[in-house]
Parts: sequence; C-alpha cells; structure tokens
Amino acid sequence: MIQVRGVRKSFGKNEVLRGVGFDVKKGGVVVILGPSGSGKTTLLRCINFLENADDGEMTIGDLSVRFKHATKKEILRVRRRTAMVFQSYNLFNNKNAIENVMEGLVTARKIPVAEAYETAKRQLDKVGLSGKYDAYPSQLSGGQQQRVAIARAVSLNPEVILFDEPTSALDPELVGEVLAVMRAVAREGITMLVVTHEMSFAHDIADHVLFMDGGLVVEEGTPREIFTRPKEPRTRQFLDRILLKYDYSI
Amino acid sequence: MGKLFDAALVFDYMPAILSRIHITFLIVAVAVAGGTFLGLLLALARLRRVPVLNAAAVFYISFVRGTPVIIQMFIVYYGFPLLLGLAGIDINRWGRLNFVLVSYVLNNAAFMAEIIRSAVASVPAGQTEAAWSVGLSGFQTLRRIVLPQAFLTAFPAFGARVVNAMQDTSLAFTLGVLDMLGQAQAIGIRTYHVLEGYVVVALVFIAASLLLEKSFSWMGKKLLPN
Repeated sequence: MIQVRGVRKSFGKNEVLRGVGFDVKKGGVVVILGPSGSGKTTLLRCINFLENADDGEMTIGDLSVRFKHATKKEILRVRRRTAMVFQSYNLFNNKNAIENVMEGLVTARKIPVAEAYETAKRQLDKVGLSGKYDAYPSQLSGGQQQRVAIARAVSLNPEVILFDEPTSALDPELVGEVLAVMRAVAREGITMLVVTHEMSFAHDIADHVLFMDGGLVVEEGTPREIFTRPKEPRTRQFLDRILLKYDYSI
Repeated sequence: MGKLFDAALVFDYMPAILSRIHITFLIVAVAVAGGTFLGLLLALARLRRVPVLNAAAVFYISFVRGTPVIIQMFIVYYGFPLLLGLAGIDINRWGRLNFVLVSYVLNNAAFMAEIIRSAVASVPAGQTEAAWSVGLSGFQTLRRIVLPQAFLTAFPAFGARVVNAMQDTSLAFTLGVLDMLGQAQAIGIRTYHVLEGYVVVALVFIAASLLLEKSFSWMGKKLLPN
C-alpha cells in the first residue's frame, strides 16, 4: 500500500506540482495520464527522490517520509523499496545485461553473487532475453534495453515499480514487445505506477487511472469511468485529442 | 674542432646520455602519480561545488594552465623555501630535483583535474539516476558506475597528458638537474660538439613518446569492453 499526499514542487517560479495525492493498493496498477507539462514525470521522480519535492508526505508499507525533511538514510530506504523504468532505459553502459540486473541486488541489497546471478538469469529469461546475458547496452535494440531495464526493476522485488513513459523513446515496431512484458509484470501482481501515452494499453492494464493537468490530479477513477464517461471537460478534451489520432483512416 | 656535425659522435654520446634517462622517468612517474591524486581532489572540489575550494580550484587551474612550466618551476624554486620558511620549515638544503618534482606534480595536478572533471561530467545524468533508483548510495554510484565510465572517457586525454609531461621534463635542466638534456649540455661544453648531444636527446624523446603513445592506445583498445 502506498499513500502519497500533498506533493508540491516548483522549478524556480514554475509550479509543476500543486498538491498531488493518491493511493496505490498492493498489487494495483495505477496509470497516470495527462498532457505534457502536467507534472506526471516530476511526480514519479519525486517519489524516489530523483527530484526533491518542496512539500508533501508518503507512506510505503511501514515507512513514512516527509519529502522536504527526508534524511539521506530515509531516501536510501525509499529507493531500496522502489524501482524505476526510465524513458531512456538508462542501462549501465559499463555493464552487460546480466550485470545490469545484478548490480542493485549485489551492491545495494548485499545478496550473494551466486544467488543474484540466478535471480538475474531468471528475470532475463522471463523478458525473453535468455541469449543476451553478455550483451552490452550498445549491442541491444531499444526494446531489448527496455526489457533488461524491466528485468532489473522486477528482480529487486520492490514494493512498487515506477514506469516513466517506458515506450516513448522506442521505434513504433518495438513498442509491442515492451508493453507485452509490462502486461506480464502486472499479471504477476507487482504494484505499478505507470506514466504512459499508450491509451489502449492504459485501458487494459490499469485498475485505477489518474488524469493530471496543471500540476493537479483533475480526475481519477477506473479506466472505464475515465475513458468512456469522463466528468471533467479537461479530461474529455485530452482524450478526444489523443484518441482522435487513432481514428484517422483512409 | 673538426666537423660541425659528426654522425659517429651521436653513437658515442648515446650511452652517457641514456644513462640519465631514469631521471626523466622518475619525474614523469612522480608528476603523473602525484598530479593524478591531487587532480582528483581538485576535480571533486569542482564537481561537488564545495564552497571556497571550488573557487580556489578554478583559480589554481587557470593559473597553471595560463603560465609556462618554466615560470612555475622558478616560482617553486625561489618561492617555496620562503613560504615554508614562514612556517618554520627549512628546505634550503633540498636537492634541486625535489623542487623539480614538486613543480611538475603541481603543474600536472591542474591538467589532470580538468581531464577528470570533464570525463566525470560527460557521464550522462541518467546513469547516476538509474544507480540511485536501484538503491546504490552516492559513493557506490561514483565507484561502480560513474568513475569506471569516466575512466574510459578520460583515458586518451590522460595518455596524451603523460606524453606531454614527459616532454616537459626537458626543462628540469634549467634548475641544474643532470637529466639527459643536462648531460648533453655538459658533453657539449666539454667537447665543443653540441649538436650531436641534442640529436641524441631528440631521438630518445621521439622513441619514448612513440612507445608511450602506442602503449596507451593499445591499453585503450583493451579497456573498451565493446
């Protein structure tokens, strides 16, 4: 169970988050939608302290932190209970696929190398990369890199995985393989918080949808509520614009 | 006096001049080792933006890079005894070589600092963020992710710097250190054959530079995993 309350964040005079809160229940998949600049990514980055929020608090399991006053130790503890999948994959360039997955297990969690190796192998097999243990990031396609990144996140067995637009940097024909892996992760009952622009994927995978605009959660509900009968005009406007893209036919 | 240039003397002088090559190697080794260590500290002060130290490092680096080595050497030679004298330490009996070593360490520290700083800064922020996201501490991130990548980036510039440092050592004789150039000069004074000695020194420097360059580029290829 994750509770986030009252997150505020400004970059200089630009107020990006203006008091955002939400809950994610254990095993739940929450998708955050919204136009660019609405603060989705910043919100995600505040949760694992890649950005320092100006205000707000969070509870992950039995760990409660206030964003502004978190100590180094608390930040490290939050990061060891969460994992993140980045838009630009961010695999460690100096490590091959299996070392990328093992790094957090061995260095941060102090799991014995042999055990970490087995875990990493299992996770890479699950994302369909059994033949690529020794491949360096530069030798992998974008889709493969992102699948390694997902294996890296899942192997840590975190309380939540944060997905920051995981398919936005991919060539269109590689999006499918990453989404398929994410569906499998969701089916395993891993708690997920996902920022994405893939609407049909969001519709299928989410059990709760947040719509953000201007640094606030404007509307939230089940995918059915949000996609078929949005209450807020801004939600409707956004969905019309996005969904229209798929309606072009010749 | 005979001929102005006698090729046979090049071979005659070679052993005597080569017998001083250890001085050159000593200066390079100390300058590179000490310079890299001090340079790492300077680079950290700059990267972490440590107050006061950052500004001091910026000033120091631009001073060293903006003045000729020979000036720095004279400043160390004449200034250091005064400075340490104020602290009650007497180094007037120091050998001249020690002053040369101090100068070259201080000189190389500035160049190494910039090489290290720019290499660390060139590692994408996403690498650090990914390391944090899997739970690595700040120090673990530096040691396991950032520095190994920065090292590979810095390696060619580091190699070039070592070759430069070696060529800079040729100024050591101005303080009266008997290195290869000092030896060539001494032979010239004794025999009135100046040019042959310098040709020997030039040949040795060319050979040593090529050797260093080749071994660095060989190591560079070995180091790159892919």
